[in-house]
Amino acid sequence: MKLYLQWLLTAILFLANGQVIAEVDAQQLLKTADHARGGGLPGIVWEIDLTTQKNDKLTDTQRLEVRAVDDASVAETLEPSRFRGSKLLQVGRNMWLTRPGLSKPVPISSRQRLSGQASNGDIAATNYALDYNASLDGEETLDGEPCYILELTARQKKVTYDRVRYWISVSRNVGVKAEYYSLSGKLLKTARFEYGNSIDYNGRLLPFISMMTIRDALIDEVTTMKFGTVEVRQIPSAEFDLGAMQ
Amino acid sequence: MREKSLVSHLGASLLAGLCLTDSLIAAGSDWDFSWNGEIYGYMSSMDLIEDSLLNPDNQIAQLPEKSASAEMRFNLKAEWEMLRMSMRPILLAQENRNEFDTWQERDAYLSQWQIRLQAAPSLGLSGGREVLNWGPGQFCSLASPFYFDNGRNNPLRELSGVDNLRLLWAPNRSQSLSATWITGSGHDQADIWRDTWLLKAEGRGDEWAGGLVASGTPGLETFAGLYGQYTVNDALLVYVEASSSTLPETLLSPSDETQPFRLESPSQRRTDALLGTSYTFDSGQSLIFEYIHYGHGYDAEEAEAYFDRAEASLLWATQALAFSPPILGQDYLYLVLQSNPLETSGYWRLMETHNLTDHSNKLSAYGEYQVSDSITAFAFAEISEGGVRQEFSSLYRSALTLGLKMALP
Repeated sequence: MKLYLQWLLTAILFLANGQVIAEVDAQQLLKTADHARGGGLPGIVWEIDLTTQKNDKLTDTQRLEVRAVDDASVAETLEPSRFRGSKLLQVGRNMWLTRPGLSKPVPISSRQRLSGQASNGDIAATNYALDYNASLDGEETLDGEPCYILELTARQKKVTYDRVRYWISVSRNVGVKAEYYSLSGKLLKTARFEYGNSIDYNGRLLPFISMMTIRDALIDEVTTMKFGTVEVRQIPSAEFDLGAMQ
Repeated sequence: MREKSLVSHLGASLLAGLCLTDSLIAAGSDWDFSWNGEIYGYMSSMDLIEDSLLNPDNQIAQLPEKSASAEMRFNLKAEWEMLRMSMRPILLAQENRNEFDTWQERDAYLSQWQIRLQAAPSLGLSGGREVLNWGPGQFCSLASPFYFDNGRNNPLRELSGVDNLRLLWAPNRSQSLSATWITGSGHDQADIWRDTWLLKAEGRGDEWAGGLVASGTPGLETFAGLYGQYTVNDALLVYVEASSSTLPETLLSPSDETQPFRLESPSQRRTDALLGTSYTFDSGQSLIFEYIHYGHGYDAEEAEAYFDRAEASLLWATQALAFSPPILGQDYLYLVLQSNPLETSGYWRLMETHNLTDHSNKLSAYGEYQVSDSITAFAFAEISEGGVRQEFSSLYRSALTLGLKMALP
């Protein structure tokens, strides 16, 4: 009898816990977390200090100014000085590169990475809620902070990663860790996120990303992006026009 | 000593830029001013073909066999709310040498400048001197009436803009329409584009981008151009450029070599097309392949007669050299292997051009190596393969440029 009661109690607790998990709207959670990384905002302008280390040796440093809205972004190189004025325009999956003196913008591929582990999409606003279907895959405490784990599957082939596991802080509603997987299920890289910035959006002060650290899963290469001078504002469509690039 | 332009022009562009800076600083306003530049120093050598039919013993073109160049290229920019001003002054000093002479060239000019007002979120007005060049083609730009050789064959070459007034309407990020009035051909060119109008419509989707171009120049028939690209996946890109146009002038080369050349102005309407594809490897290196059909070029018989005439008479050789089309043949293949252009540590690019009309080849290579944070070493080399009656080996066998560039500030 005592054993039956124990089983019954366990079953009730399990179902209750499942009910709590089911009540979490994974897609809405993802959308909220996107705000803290520039997604769903009318437009964002930020500066990024980007460094790449390979085998503990500094291999690349860049400073960029990025203007982004939804799936469009323009990244202008401020440093190093020999690349100053270079611009990378991304609209959907289309990308172009131009530099002062170059005769016209050159189309480039998303395989042509900006630096180390940073893909061109990493410097733009994050819109996981638009690109992925989210489902809750449990909870885990990360560095002492309870997190929901979301399983993200690509809605279409256009996205850079087919599958993402995304840890979202229960209390802060921001993404703190991500694992990126290929179609075959191979772990490609992991990323950690910090939120030392804040933005004033719709009259509320929201936490905003200040650092993203990306590690390759196979080789010893780490790319760090520090986000500074964040500004939320409307960006005219003409700024994403190819003709305005030069 | 030959002076390409008045010495008094030297520094005028920089002076204008400095005046602009001073005015802005004096105004103490919210103008956001920035500048940067590059100093180039490079030496070039060309191995000329003595028995060239177009330029025997270098008597006609008197091309420099050696040259040393110093060049300063600046970018000045000032922004205040919706107003943006920019300019790109260039100063060039060059010493050239061949077996006949040694001469200097000096030039100072505004390669580009622009004043742009974002009158409304979707409406922009601009005026200035801009490189109106577009389309994904690497070998040439067929969809622009103003530029053919877009400089990709020689990455050191800088295009100069055309003077224009432009209205750009971009209601959203996927569509734009621009209307442009050309007021002059810009720096150091015959003023052939004055009073040209141009309309350009661009569209962009998730995986594709493209545009339609129409323009009219006094004395020429309407130019019609198109370009488009499609991203198949994160590695593969396919693209096209095409146009139908008449040229201001063209040198006709009748198949019967006893007939003289005939200068036709304007030329007959011809159609040009470029089909291209680019594949990017996991390493970021990419392989580019293009096929070009150039309707204004010569077919095999016309090309043969072109060299026959040049061989027969020095006068005809001079005409052949002075008025030949930008590329002689009608069909070309262009192959490029390049490193990731986004990498800041260095860049290299190998290019092979094959003329399908006369079967001559040109192999080119360009490389950049980062010496320090601000200094980059670069090299550009070309080797031609073929005989004196073939395009790429009609003037020189090989060419080499070595140099350094330093970023400012």
